[in-house]
Amino acid sequence: MTIIPFPARAGRRYGGPVVTEAMAFEDEQDDNVQALAARLVEGDETALEEVYDRWSALVHTYALRALHDPHDAEDVTQQVFVAAWRSRHTLTPSPAALPAWLVGIARHKVADVRAARARDADRLAAVVSLPGARDDTLQAADDETAERLVVRQAVEDLPDPRRTILFLAFWEEHSHAEIAEKVGLPLGTVKSHVRRGLMKLHQQLEGVRHESR
Amino acid sequence: MSHVDPEQLAGLALDPSDGPDEVREHAETCPECAGLVAAFTGVRRRAGADALVPPPAGLRAQVLAEVRAGDARPQSPSAPVEPAPGRGVPLWLAGVAAALALLAGLGLGRIGTGSTETPEAVEPPGDTGTVVAATALRALDSDAERGEARAVQTDDTFTIRVSASELGDEPGVHEVWLINVDGERMISIGLLASGDEGEFAVPMELIEQGYRIVDISVEPEDGDPTHSGVSIARGELA
Repeated sequence: MTIIPFPARAGRRYGGPVVTEAMAFEDEQDDNVQALAARLVEGDETALEEVYDRWSALVHTYALRALHDPHDAEDVTQQVFVAAWRSRHTLTPSPAALPAWLVGIARHKVADVRAARARDADRLAAVVSLPGARDDTLQAADDETAERLVVRQAVEDLPDPRRTILFLAFWEEHSHAEIAEKVGLPLGTVKSHVRRGLMKLHQQLEGVRHESR
Repeated sequence: MSHVDPEQLAGLALDPSDGPDEVREHAETCPECAGLVAAFTGVRRRAGADALVPPPAGLRAQVLAEVRAGDARPQSPSAPVEPAPGRGVPLWLAGVAAALALLAGLGLGRIGTGSTETPEAVEPPGDTGTVVAATALRALDSDAERGEARAVQTDDTFTIRVSASELGDEPGVHEVWLINVDGERMISIGLLASGDEGEFAVPMELIEQGYRIVDISVEPEDGDPTHSGVSIARGELA
């Protein structure tokens, strides 16, 4: 990750315009996602292209972490977006609906690949185990992976400087004072970005949890 | 005091010592605020995942090509064709009528040529015996119907009659198995050699031992006598 330092600004107060602008940007972003979902439901192919561009890395990484095989991960990614297009009528547009829905489809596709592998590994055992049985531990691990990736994606979607500030705070574990120094913003502003950023990530994650239930 | 501003709770999640005393006290005692702090802490814990890995560049074109190819098809292959209710002759009944007409024709033909064969000889075998158990066959990955299986007792013989449908065109032969309800044993009872119909004599004891799940698999011609793992239809006799 490259960190672009921000030019020093004269003494802005806690919650100054930088913070407010970032909040406005996020609301606009939510509206955009919702509009994108609506276009997809209507059958707009360019909407699928945008959905792919925005979330294929999330889906692909999830499949890669769950299956540990690049080829299978590619297959699953392709299947997810084709399935998303074919079942687009079932999508109810909301800000978190798209990623939640895509992750939900990906879960099923990953489970299919696992079932096929289990058959290869131990044919008889797999054949006789009736469908519906599921490895809960594996599922819990997958869910945790999905949530971490959703958080990662949500941070990447944030407007700068919040995005950079959150990366410094959460990924590089810098203190608020260090970040303030690095990005050239007042300590109060940095603190506010980190807190509001955390709230935004929470909102995004909750949305995905709720929608994929 | 009233609830704490969520932003202050986010601050507490990041640093429990951050914030005025009364805010911290409230967040410790109010279940709602404590819950939000815990939720924020959970999000913080999940931050730190490695960067997302984009799929290979060529995949986008493949997805779009597959989507366009699919849309060009006139109708979804999964759409079932069903006769309109309350109108005309149901398809299955038309089939029965056609079969009866054919039988009648054969019988007449034989009478006309002075054949000495008894008419009973052309009776379909399905009309004899007592059905002691039956099941609908269904796909494993969906609830799609795949025909039915019946266990029929005739005097001292016991047969499994399979009448499958829509088994797909995956290459290989269709093999019929009985899986024990204990989930540990299975036995092959034969192949669907001609079309989707088959009749298999089995010892009655098998059913009594719990071999009641009828399973149809696709078997590649690879010389391996074990189940391929690809089950296309299944149902439990009851």
